[in-house]
This record gives sequence, C-alpha cells and structure tokens, in this order.
Amino acid sequence: MSLEAIIIYTLAGVLTIISFIYNKDKTLKGLKKGAKSFIKLMPVLLPLFLFIGILLALVTPEFISSILGEDSGFFGYVFGIVVGSVTFMPPFVAYPLGRELLNNGAAYPQVAGFLVALMSVGLVYFAAESKFFSAKSALIRNIVSIIGAIIVIGVAWVVYA
Amino acid sequence: MKRFIMKNKFLVLSIILLIVISIVDIKYTYQALDNTVSQVISMLVIVPPIFILMGLFDVWIPRETIIRLMGEKSGVRGMALAFFLGAFSAGPTIAAFPLALIMIKKGAKYSNVLFFLMVWSSLKLPMVFYQISTLGIQFSMIINVSMFIVFVISAFVAEKLFTKEELHAFEEKANHYSK
Repeated sequence: MSLEAIIIYTLAGVLTIISFIYNKDKTLKGLKKGAKSFIKLMPVLLPLFLFIGILLALVTPEFISSILGEDSGFFGYVFGIVVGSVTFMPPFVAYPLGRELLNNGAAYPQVAGFLVALMSVGLVYFAAESKFFSAKSALIRNIVSIIGAIIVIGVAWVVYA
Repeated sequence: MKRFIMKNKFLVLSIILLIVISIVDIKYTYQALDNTVSQVISMLVIVPPIFILMGLFDVWIPRETIIRLMGEKSGVRGMALAFFLGAFSAGPTIAAFPLALIMIKKGAKYSNVLFFLMVWSSLKLPMVFYQISTLGIQFSMIINVSMFIVFVISAFVAEKLFTKEELHAFEEKANHYSK
C-alpha cells in the first residue's frame, strides 16, 4: 500500500471511530450517504481508466525521454506541455522520470513545463470534470494550469540560463 | 445509439483507440488492458476512504459553517482554508472531485472550490516532499511558488467568469451527486 493510501485510510478510520463514539446513527447515515455517492460517481469515473490504460501503453517513459532529450529546443517545450497535458502519471513515477530526464541532459525549463502540465493539467479527467461541474469550469482549470506551465518554463529559463 | 454515443463520448473514443492499436500491434492492446486493470485496482484502493470522508462531512458539518468559512463573504480566510484542505491531502485529483462536490453542496464559494482543486492537483504536501527529494529544493520551489501565484490569481479571476445561473447549476449537480 502506498503512503498516500495509508494516510487517507488512517484519517478516514480515525474520524469514523470518533464520529461513531459521538453519534452512532449520524455515523451510519454518513457512511450510507458516502456509499450512495460512490455508486453514483463510479459509472462516470470508470470509463476514464480504459483511456488512461491506453495512454500509458503508448506514452511510455522511453517515449518521453526520446522527445524531451538534449537539444530538443522550442519543440521540446511544446511537446513537453502537450504530452504532459494528455498523459496521466502518478507522482511516484513522474518525479523520478523528471530526475532521469535532467540527468540525461534535458534542460530544466522543458522538464519543468512537462512536469507541471503532467501534474496539474488533467485532460483525461475532462469528461468526469465536465459532468460533475461544467465543461467551462473544467476548461478554465486546465487553461490556468497550462498558463502556469508556461510561466514556470519562463521562470526556470531565467533562473537556469 | 446516438444518445449513447453522445453521453459516453469518452468511452466510445477509448474503444475506437483500442481497435486502432489492436490493428497496429496487438501487444499494445494487452498492455493497455493490463494498465487499465491495475489503474482501476489502485483507484478502488484509494477511493473508499474518500467517500467515507464525504459522507461524514455531509452529516457533521452544517451548511452554515461552510458558508461562514468558505462562502461568498469568506475572503482571504476562505482561500486559506481551501489551500490547507488541498495541501494536507493525499490521493489523485480524481479523489478530490467528490470532496469538491460536497463543499459546493454546503455553500462554499465556487472560486474557493476551484482553488482547492488546483492546489490538490499540484501542491499536495506529501507530494511536494517527495518532489524535493527527487528533483532538488531549488527546482521544486521554482515550480511550486510559481504555481501557487498562478492559482491565487486565477481564483480571483475565476470568480468573475461565472454567472449566477452557472453557479446555481453547480449546486444542483452537487446535490444530485451527494443525496
């Protein structure tokens, strides 16, 4: 089990116990509500994972290394943001990959743009996000993150130039 | 049929993609399905406690409290709370959506919810520590400080971008998903 899972299970477990001690009925009602939401939200979320599975099969770390390598120049920035935006990767894969890219001679700004887009732009979540909130809201959140990626590239470029 | 496609654009797109890669090389298809299964499993591992938290949040925290702490008139304090909730969290962005829905249901200001989602997606503290240990403190700080500033500014801008009707629609959806 990952560290994240341990933290979140501990939190949920402790709060459920405390809640149960204070008020049994309320706790059961809460758990029931949670289960109901789970059943409602799952059908929206599940198809995403097929898409993520396909993406992960096509966009491998080797593929990313090949486009973000040394001297990838301007296209390196663009590809970094585009690939980062459409791909999905847990941080425990993403950050070591970033380190490796840097060790293999990729420039800091390109890796920065890629990582920021990877973490904060979630085009794979777009369908779910539009259903839960709205397409406009999902669009705003993702555009903000892309602008963020461009700004981070700029800052990294100034700092490491 | 047409309605099914419109309602499940993403699923249909995925299936088409799957057929295309099967034609190119069946090896990709196996890999893709393998990944899908392991992604679904890892999500099913992380997601149940999120829904427990969502349910407990719903029964214990009165709407008035959230309106006061994160609602229309909550100002900087509301944003600070949104930041802490997003930063002291764990789990993929997808796990943040249910919590965001319940915040909306309880009357949090939408820009605060958006700020919470943005912070969750890239400034979670457990992740930041890991980031520092792999990428170094300077590089990590360049990324995180810049993103923090971008998110703060965009939360202010986002407030102006939604009409009253749109904000009301968010609440209705949130109510639908957390009855």
